[in-house]
Amino acid sequence: MAQEIAMLHDVARCSACRACMVACKQWHDLPADMSTPFEGQYQSHAELTPTTWNLIQMNERVDSAGKFHWDFFKRQCMHCADPACAKGCPEEAIEKLENGAVVIDEEKCVGCGYCTHNCPFDVPKVNKETNKSTKCDLCFDRIAEGMEPACSKTCTADAIRFGTKEEMLKRAEERVAILKQEGHQDANVYNPQGVGGIHMLYVLPEKPSVYNLPENPQTPDSINLWKDVVRPLGKLAGAGAIVGVLGMAALKGMTSKKEEK
Amino acid sequence: MLVNKKYIKRHKMGFVYFHWINAISFFLLFLTALPLYTDTFRFLYDMFGAATLQYAHRVFAVIFIANPIIGLVTANDGIMRLVKEVLSFGRDDIVFNQKFPAELIGKEPEGIPPQSFYNGGEKMNILLQAVLWALLVISGAVLWFGEGLVSPAIRTWMIPLHSICAGFGFAAAIGHIYLALGVNPDSMHGMCDGTVKASYAAKHHGKWIDELVAEGKVTREEIKQAVKN
Repeated sequence: MAQEIAMLHDVARCSACRACMVACKQWHDLPADMSTPFEGQYQSHAELTPTTWNLIQMNERVDSAGKFHWDFFKRQCMHCADPACAKGCPEEAIEKLENGAVVIDEEKCVGCGYCTHNCPFDVPKVNKETNKSTKCDLCFDRIAEGMEPACSKTCTADAIRFGTKEEMLKRAEERVAILKQEGHQDANVYNPQGVGGIHMLYVLPEKPSVYNLPENPQTPDSINLWKDVVRPLGKLAGAGAIVGVLGMAALKGMTSKKEEK
Repeated sequence: MLVNKKYIKRHKMGFVYFHWINAISFFLLFLTALPLYTDTFRFLYDMFGAATLQYAHRVFAVIFIANPIIGLVTANDGIMRLVKEVLSFGRDDIVFNQKFPAELIGKEPEGIPPQSFYNGGEKMNILLQAVLWALLVISGAVLWFGEGLVSPAIRTWMIPLHSICAGFGFAAAIGHIYLALGVNPDSMHGMCDGTVKASYAAKHHGKWIDELVAEGKVTREEIKQAVKN
């Protein structure tokens, strides 16, 4: 088994230089994305888009003590250990690699958008031009060559780190301990277990909801219902109706023949 | 009055079109989404292209949604009749549903009480299709427009909901087609030019004939004559 890897965004260290966004676009050859009009804001894009897989979200916030904060959060695919997108894909076009990266196979993807609805983090976006679903692939191709992802490689503030999951969890715990000493009582490692844990870990100085993260996201049961019940039952109902009708037609034919005799 | 001394006017043409537009758009919707339901039909995506079929699915969806809404004007009588009939589901309909199944294999069950404009089975089908329509429209609209508006925790449930409604709707439609073509071929006439044989109506929709006689639209004599011929 390949080594399980993880990426870590230390929200407290991020300076929102956004070099990681540029590095991501460069490595994946993604075009500039003008979807968000410039209205004087610092925020580059309102949300992830089919050509923006990595986004630094900037949020102004005043805490309960009246202190002003400017939060920088790296929004991207969480690379769940129990990925809803992959589980609910009708074409089996999304694969969780052994190292933990969750990757869309463009060849197999048909752009149905089920992953965009199943993802508890609302991450995948279907590119309307290519009709393919898109999201961060954790630079799985770079990792395979022994390199680290483009975003973490380029991070100047040491806010994005990459390594084995074990190392990253240890580092995250250390950072949380430091943040707590500095007075951030709610500091935590974001690694929700409802989705099996994630390979995009966060060091958060405040509670997850402050960063618009779900406190307890789940890989939804609707996927199992769809896969294990609805699909087989629907097929059975459809095929059953056709077979049943043919059978009844045959019986009816036989009965009426008997009557004629 | 009977048409050609043989046929009774059953549906207005607006209602006939309403029926066929609903039927055709449903099957095209079913077909254009089938590759996502079962891999057996993956070849449809390979033949036409996934994007084409997904686009077509949305076009047919607009027709499927608009049809009954437009129908409120163009097929008003017929649709109001559907509502009225479903709401009047009673004892005779229950007895019908208990005795009718033997007819499916060509037997002639006895003791079926006279049925109204729609029989007990038709009433159940009408109700089922109406409920499925509403659920398909709601779940489909959320999947189409919900991104960014509706939480993924809700959107994810629309996938199994949409699928199961399509599955049951299809199965019910197959049964409906069998009853029309195989069991009561005379009923098809009503969905072509809007009239049915008086003999067929007298046999299967006794209460409806009583209603027509009471309203003075036909006479008992006319019906008797038509049944003899």
